[in-house]
Amino acid sequence: MAQIKLDGTSKVFGDITVIPPLDLEIGKGEFVVFVGPSGSGKSTLLRLIAGLEQVSGGRIYIEGRDITTTPCGDRGLAMVFQSYALYPHMTVRQNMAFPLEMAGEAKASINRSIEETAHVLDITRFLDRRPAQLSGGQRQRVAIGRAIVRNPTAFLFDEPLSNLDAALRSSTRLEIMKLHQQLGATMIYVTHDQVEAMTMADRIVVLNHGKIEQVGTPQELYERPANLFVAEFIGAPRMNRIEGEAAAALGAGTIGVRPEHIRIVQESGLWQATVEVIENLGAESHVHTRSDVAGPLVVRMSGSPGVKIGDRIGLSPADGFVHRFDRHGMALR
Amino acid sequence: MNILRWLVFGIAAIAMNFPVIVTLITSFKSAKEIAMNPGLIVQAPTFANYARVLTDTSRFNIYAYLFNSTVAAFIGSFLALLLTLPAAYAIVRTGVGKKHLLPVVANLRAVPLVVFAIPLYMMFQFVGLLDTRIGLGLILTIVNLPLSLMMMVNAISDIPGEIDEAARMDRASAFVILRRIVGPVIRPAIVTAFIFGFITAWNEYLFGLMLTTRQAVPITVGSSFFFSASGGGVQWGIASAVMVLGAMPPAILGCLIYRQLTGSMTAGAVKG
Ligand SMILES: Nc1ncnc2c1ncn2[C@@H]1O[C@H](COP(=O)(O)OP(=O)(O)O)[C@@H](O)[C@H]1O
Ligand SMILES: [Mg+2]
Repeated sequence: MAQIKLDGTSKVFGDITVIPPLDLEIGKGEFVVFVGPSGSGKSTLLRLIAGLEQVSGGRIYIEGRDITTTPCGDRGLAMVFQSYALYPHMTVRQNMAFPLEMAGEAKASINRSIEETAHVLDITRFLDRRPAQLSGGQRQRVAIGRAIVRNPTAFLFDEPLSNLDAALRSSTRLEIMKLHQQLGATMIYVTHDQVEAMTMADRIVVLNHGKIEQVGTPQELYERPANLFVAEFIGAPRMNRIEGEAAAALGAGTIGVRPEHIRIVQESGLWQATVEVIENLGAESHVHTRSDVAGPLVVRMSGSPGVKIGDRIGLSPADGFVHRFDRHGMALR
Repeated sequence: MNILRWLVFGIAAIAMNFPVIVTLITSFKSAKEIAMNPGLIVQAPTFANYARVLTDTSRFNIYAYLFNSTVAAFIGSFLALLLTLPAAYAIVRTGVGKKHLLPVVANLRAVPLVVFAIPLYMMFQFVGLLDTRIGLGLILTIVNLPLSLMMMVNAISDIPGEIDEAARMDRASAFVILRRIVGPVIRPAIVTAFIFGFITAWNEYLFGLMLTTRQAVPITVGSSFFFSASGGGVQWGIASAVMVLGAMPPAILGCLIYRQLTGSMTAGAVKG
């Protein structure tokens, strides 16, 4: 049974429909990522589930209970914010105690929960410090700790890593994934970063203009994107998009081939192209080419490229890896 | 260069504070010396004026005036905060009133207070608040409302909304958020507004004059009684002593405000 269920849920601000009615089911223990460009309504959708915003239409259920009008504090959900939102005048210990005090827990049990959680997150050393005395990464742990102590039905994360530097981001990402395995709790995670979505999610919900473009596992989205938007949003470098004659030749309005699915073949091959730029990353290279009929094409290959700028080369898409879309951008199968 | 700078500074300080200095000096002169020596150097310094004011309370009781001022100013600054803190919170978080109400309230300060005096006198007479400390305190509350509201709105605007939302997710009610999160976070602003309101209320003269006669006379009005304490000409020495005494509490609070002001600035820098 779905643990969290959205049924025709929508949100309107003034006369702007930010979320048109949508349905979504999230299973118990699932790690679901909402991903989409900035302004696509990810935060709004999360805040509807949290109860920080009231729905304009539809209903929301948690474990079968209709909580559409339940105040946010009574939904059994915990949220981790992008800015951490720690209480600046309280120590870490007081920050973590606050939700438990609000729930009316006894002092002894509060202390026990805090000690346990602090141990798990390795923040015991900071318990008596204030947020201002902590680094960004430490604050983020405390914010997560404050969510964990409540033992919530589900965790909601709104871009929790975007204020951290790149190195810290990837290590914290791993920690959140470990935490998910340890706790086995349902987590809904919002990000605009498709790499975060691909690496963390059990299931990804791709949003665009408040609309769900596709829901699926990272593998499904990568292998079988439902439309051009998903195809181009998932995967880096971006999927090559080919229109016009070259597409029509394959019976489609648009075709897409991921850079890793194009091979360089000398002279022959489906498309003739000239090498324009080479990005050598060591382990792999991105060869930017311009094809006579297909336009700009990026080729991703492992190791260093056997070509140099100005070379005339032939390009061949790997069999079975050409995505075809109709004129409206919907996948043709 | 440095000497010149201090010289200019010294001259400016003396020029600006000249009335205060003269009052202070006069309070240490005897009546005879005031008549003969208008200079700034006191020939025979005396505490006689102070002694007279503080011991002879048969006609004008300075202790009563100081007490009245303290009570009324306390009510006036405390009540103003009690009203404006939740109001400011609502304005900042809901946006209601931010566009129209706030500018109107802020500009109330620009209206001459005497406009309110006559209707207030009649209202106070009707409800029996004339010549009471509470009545005076209520008026001073209104005098303090605009600035207090502005200060609270500014301070609360600096608190990121996500902090409130985190507290709401933690099941805190609006009242609990105000008492346990917003209040403590903006404490420097609250203390500043309180001291500021207290000083403003302490120095208020017009309503004290209009609305009190015997029981609730504040020090600002009371000190004017001493000008002609003995019926004849003005007793400058005694009047000066009363004024110096009456100016002490706000002056001390003014020094406190300064420390609070710097405190609130650093508090704003470490938020989040
Ligand atoms: N309180 C609000 N009032 C009006 N419009 C809003 C409000 N919150 C969000 N929006 C609008 O809703 C859209 C989606 O915002 P948001 O959910 O924050 O997007 P995301 O998190 O995907 O970047 C944006 O166009 C934004 O301007
Ligand atoms: Mg967002």
